[in-house]
Amino acid sequence: MKRWLGLLALLALTAPASALVTDISERRIEIRYSFNGADLILFGAVGSTVLGSDTSGIDIVVVVRGPEAPTKLRRKERVAGIWVNHGSLTLPSAPGYYAVAANRHLADIATPEIFTASGIGFSNLRLAYAGGPGKAEAAPEFLKALKRLRAEDGLLREELDVVKIIGEGLFRTNVRLPANAPVGQYQVDAFVFQEGRLQARNRIDMTVDKEGFERAVYSFAHEWPFFYGLTAVVIALLAGWVAALVGRR
Amino acid sequence: MPLYLPIAELSMNIFLVVAMGGAVGFLSGMFGVGGGFLMTPLLMFAGVPPTVAVATGANQLTAASVSGAMAHWRRGGVDLKMGLVLTAGGAVGAFVGAFLFKLLRAAGQVDLMISLAYVLFLGAVGGLMFVESVRAILRARAGTPPPMKPREERHKAWIHKLPWKMRFKKSRLYISALLPLGIGFVVGILSSIMGVGGGFIMVPAMIYLLGMPTGVVIGTSLFQIIFVTALTTIFHSVNTQTVDIPLAILLLIGAVTGAQIGAKVGMKLKPEQMRALLALIVLLVGLRMAVDLVIEPAELYSISDMDGAEERP
Repeated sequence: MKRWLGLLALLALTAPASALVTDISERRIEIRYSFNGADLILFGAVGSTVLGSDTSGIDIVVVVRGPEAPTKLRRKERVAGIWVNHGSLTLPSAPGYYAVAANRHLADIATPEIFTASGIGFSNLRLAYAGGPGKAEAAPEFLKALKRLRAEDGLLREELDVVKIIGEGLFRTNVRLPANAPVGQYQVDAFVFQEGRLQARNRIDMTVDKEGFERAVYSFAHEWPFFYGLTAVVIALLAGWVAALVGRR
Repeated sequence: MPLYLPIAELSMNIFLVVAMGGAVGFLSGMFGVGGGFLMTPLLMFAGVPPTVAVATGANQLTAASVSGAMAHWRRGGVDLKMGLVLTAGGAVGAFVGAFLFKLLRAAGQVDLMISLAYVLFLGAVGGLMFVESVRAILRARAGTPPPMKPREERHKAWIHKLPWKMRFKKSRLYISALLPLGIGFVVGILSSIMGVGGGFIMVPAMIYLLGMPTGVVIGTSLFQIIFVTALTTIFHSVNTQTVDIPLAILLLIGAVTGAQIGAKVGMKLKPEQMRALLALIVLLVGLRMAVDLVIEPAELYSISDMDGAEERP
């Protein structure tokens, strides 16, 4: 904790004194993974504005967006008495992770129109889908399902994490990344609102790479599938052999 | 103590997984079966994606069959030549099965195929076993000996007409190699699409179709299962990356321990009673899978990557 405070003090001193725009001048991202995921720790400072160093009444919204990947949604339907995957919707590109954190309720910060215009919120992403007009009718149901499934998996977090304004335009937030969060390029967007108006925005690119035993197993399985399979077989053969020796006694 | 399973992509309690392995191991030790047809459904009921349950189940079976086969090998219960021919058929079957598995996964229908295969086979095998064992129990009560067929009549006429005859000394057989190759092939397909050893099909086929002496049937089938499940593991690893090694290790720790206890308990039961009990368990698992197919699922939607990998069941 002391380390963070020291860093914050440093941030306060180095924040641009006469910047024209408010922005996040410094940041530090740290990811610690364990079996149940990681916390993305994010720091920021809102610099002085042309109006002086008036950082009172500001609101901060942080959006974390995971790597884009083609995504396929399937729906089960009853066919000849049994439930079968029947309909599907393909999204050529959808974020594998999406989180919105703010210092208070989004509804209190600005109007929905402003959030729609600035693309804050999963529903405002306007995801494209393949299939043309025929799919348009079914699409809302599928997109609703996507939201629900991602939320259940902890991959869609809207207003579940809190941005804490420490004072002097400094803020920090912990955003939860579940263990199944995809690895790759993430974008962290910070939005500064003042009296319901968007004053400034800033984007940081960051790479999420998992480490640890689970990740090593995953990488091994995907990068060296043949040797991974061979390893699985050797382990099983050894285990069976040991069991036979033990069982004989 | 939760552990994140990297391939199944979910957190599970370590002790729960070991206990699941132990329960299946206990039953497999008690009944002298591989237990794959119980392990794979149990993993699916616990929330493991069906594809991972199948591939990991096959991996875990390799260990179970090694210890079993070694015990039979020591007392001369393995027909090596027959085992190799069965394995050759099994290798082709496992390859075809894994390919089919990959195709259906891309089409989003692999879970359905796994469930249907289970309902079909568990229903048929469980039903036949149940009827047979009830008859045996009734016969034992009435005191009539089971009908015996002379050995010469065991083979049907069409079996003798098949080409490529081979001599299997240990089994005292002179039959077409096509038969064990065919049996191995079918078992190989089942292994890779159901995550089972296939003993429940192979053992009756070896006894009734091939006419092998019962003393070498179990050992030889276990010998084949080692290689076919090992190949299945490798095919699934390469094709679909669905083998979860940490999950397999935890399961086999439980299974190996459970099997030792189960084997001791099993000696106290009468064979026909055991078969009836096993038949009931098989039928129950099959019924549960059938119910899951018929009732409306709580969640109709699922997300899959573009290569077809199911993120959620």
